[in-house]
Amino acid sequence: MQLEKIDDYRWLIPRTYKPGMRTDTVIYASERLLQAIRQDQSLEQAANVAMLPGIVGRALAMPDIHQGYGFPIGGVAAVDEEHGVVSPGGVGFDINCGVRLLSSTLTVKDIKAKLRDLVHQLFRDIPSGTGQSSRIKLSDTDLNNVLEKGPRWAIEHDMGSEADLDHTEERGCIAEADAYAVSERAKQRGRAQLGTLGSGNHFLEVQFVDEVFDAQTAAQYNLEKDRIVVLIHTGSRGLGHQVCTDYVSQLDSAMRKYELHVPDRQLACAPIQSPEGQRYLHAMAASANFAWTNRQCIAHATRGAFKRVFGDNVNLPVIYDVAHNIAKRELHMVDGRQRRVVVHRKGATRAFPNQPVFIPGSMGTASYFLTGQEGAMRETFGSACHGAGRVMSRSAAKKGVTAKEIQKELESRGIIVESLTREGLTEEKPDAYKDIESVVDVVHNAGLAARVARLRPIGVIKG
Amino acid sequence: MALEFELLEHTSDVGILARGDNREEALVAASHGLASILVDPAGFRPLEERYFKAPGRDEAAQIVNWLNEILFFFDTDGLVFVEFTIDSWNSAEIIGRAKGERFDIDHHELRTAVKAATYHQFESHPASRGWEIRVFVDV
Repeated sequence: MQLEKIDDYRWLIPRTYKPGMRTDTVIYASERLLQAIRQDQSLEQAANVAMLPGIVGRALAMPDIHQGYGFPIGGVAAVDEEHGVVSPGGVGFDINCGVRLLSSTLTVKDIKAKLRDLVHQLFRDIPSGTGQSSRIKLSDTDLNNVLEKGPRWAIEHDMGSEADLDHTEERGCIAEADAYAVSERAKQRGRAQLGTLGSGNHFLEVQFVDEVFDAQTAAQYNLEKDRIVVLIHTGSRGLGHQVCTDYVSQLDSAMRKYELHVPDRQLACAPIQSPEGQRYLHAMAASANFAWTNRQCIAHATRGAFKRVFGDNVNLPVIYDVAHNIAKRELHMVDGRQRRVVVHRKGATRAFPNQPVFIPGSMGTASYFLTGQEGAMRETFGSACHGAGRVMSRSAAKKGVTAKEIQKELESRGIIVESLTREGLTEEKPDAYKDIESVVDVVHNAGLAARVARLRPIGVIKG
Repeated sequence: MALEFELLEHTSDVGILARGDNREEALVAASHGLASILVDPAGFRPLEERYFKAPGRDEAAQIVNWLNEILFFFDTDGLVFVEFTIDSWNSAEIIGRAKGERFDIDHHELRTAVKAATYHQFESHPASRGWEIRVFVDV
């Protein structure tokens, strides 16, 4: 594919690239990252996103873009709320997969001697959810309340405080959530999974502040060098997967009724204002609320584990909790006028000015704390990247290395890892992912989000 | 021809290429392929049975929905299936059954969690030797 270079961090797929594109697509990447991006079909998928009916502005792709299903992972598209479509494929199967960061007053020195105990306690207290049930038993009413109230339900059940909500995107609750738009099958799939981490690239890490780039902003969040933080990366578990499955199927059937055509069936969509579109948005919002509650419950278990190891005086307040797989109704300036749009962010983090943005790494690699910048509001509907993106297939990652070897190698670097599965270690090993530094460089230099601090793991639990 | 499948991998994808003497056998092979992504299927016995109903407006939707039944019962009951029977397959739906055993973390080996079967690069067609189905899953 021939890309037009706009500058060192922006590349254009013009709308003339293929019939059906309604707008241009802009890829945020360096020349080096682009070489990796070209290895899969993600650029083709990013061009397909530009075909969505009602898309406004440009279709966008973040520097961690890689091949997804329908949308690329790292794709952003805003559609007109009145005349556009909503696509479950533009959110993904893991609805409101996201990141919550907890701060502490502890330093590396304070926890070093008991780190192994801490990681073990966290591993015991936070189930992965596969082959291990949640400790939280939900009645039908509880589950409906989780879906419609989000983490407020957890707080009402002594799993957190009001302050946690103050530091969560949307205060953890999208009001249009409707538990009745979520199928019984989805509820069955999620019922035993609240407070569970899941597997794959999901993890909980005990990290320390390795480097501070912006001391003033870091100080606002009580962050300084060597300070301990906890990063929780997970989503809506089987409930969200089933909601996406249900609605891809329903919208796939509804498309004929609305005479909609998309180049890839995983981009199945419906007009936002149609009954099907509305119902999906209600169910997606309920799944997003479930995910925020999931991270709330995991944060509560994390606090319990820290207290058991370090005593009752340890507090782990929430710095922020932000989604990176979601569709949100927002107001944005487009071509000089304010418009109501639904922003699809699939593997992209909301990055409103001064809002914390977390870019999780993978086990041995660093994670980043950034803040959103004005440039994101001007160019990307307030969005930035969400991770590093794979460069190695899972089987390639597993080849020639055992879980024990990875565990040992990480331990030699001072990182203690506990994983339920061998695959959790081998498939997710650090070099299976793009270099996160180069991904962060692009969003920083393009003015979408600014570096605040780099966080390095010393304890990891995985499913 | 024996039922057979192979796993296909790209950077972030896992796919199943399944073959059989006919469409039904290829779907059974794809079902075994999916189970082998979730767990090491060795040691699972056909102890519990579940009924599968996979409706869909076309063959692709029916096959995707059938495979999603496997994921549903794994998440809800912890069941890993080792025997699959297709009772009927018409233009509206696939009806069938599967037998398996509940996953036990102390006795079985968990592999990779699968979120869903997808339409990505989906194929189902007659092949030189019987029938072939290709389906990618989101892991």
